[in-house]
Amino acid sequence: MTPTIRLRQRMQVVLHMVMAFVVAILMAQLWLFTVTLEAMESHDASLSIIAAALVCSLLGCVAIWALIRYFLRAEAQQQNQNG
Amino acid sequence: MSNLPDDPQGTPRWKQDFPVPSGEDSYATRREFTKFLGLTSVAFLAGTVVAAARKLWKQARASQSDSVAIATLEEIPAGGSKLFRYPTQDDACILLRLAPDKFVAFNQNCTHLNCPVHFDEANSRLACPCHHGFFSAEDGQAVAGPPRRGLAALTVSVRDGQVWVQNQLTREPS
Repeated sequence: MTPTIRLRQRMQVVLHMVMAFVVAILMAQLWLFTVTLEAMESHDASLSIIAAALVCSLLGCVAIWALIRYFLRAEAQQQNQNG
Repeated sequence: MSNLPDDPQGTPRWKQDFPVPSGEDSYATRREFTKFLGLTSVAFLAGTVVAAARKLWKQARASQSDSVAIATLEEIPAGGSKLFRYPTQDDACILLRLAPDKFVAFNQNCTHLNCPVHFDEANSRLACPCHHGFFSAEDGQAVAGPPRRGLAALTVSVRDGQVWVQNQLTREPS
């Protein structure tokens, strides 16, 4: 097995893990969006629900970009190590 | 233009000079794909922010609007109703006189798909003719049909022989 193929396989595993995290976070963000929409339509919904949904969605977004950054950096490092 | 001979398979000379990898036209790199996922996340966040801002704006607008007189006591008999607009001309509402001394007012838009609801005096409920949704005339709660949320209730008071609606939408009718 050549180093290039090994690298590609390793990156594939990392990519799958990152994708699983990212998809889970995206699903959570979608759910938070629907919660906020429901609260927007409902007259008795508390503002604290909306604030919590907003903060969680922001954290999710930051987490996704951090994961992507981690993945791309790991990929670049591996490529550099293999010349 | 080079002087390449024509391909034996019939590839034209221009294509040999400027090969277009059409098979890779729709190929997305990992970087592009992850960027797409990141932007999807930003879109969800933006949607949440917009929805939250709209909720805040609605609340601010409701708290700023003053109470207004919408009818005189003689105008509506017991069991009667009157349509009015509050707090803006775009917000249709309905005032009900359930008893000589009992008034309630609700936003007239059905919480299912915004059709206007009408007072069904015989059954003491508000009916939406579009999809047969029904709301209690007492408190505006959804009692049958597709709507899941109750109608927004306005605070109603009677002063100087007139019926006034207050500045905010509440779930509990006055």
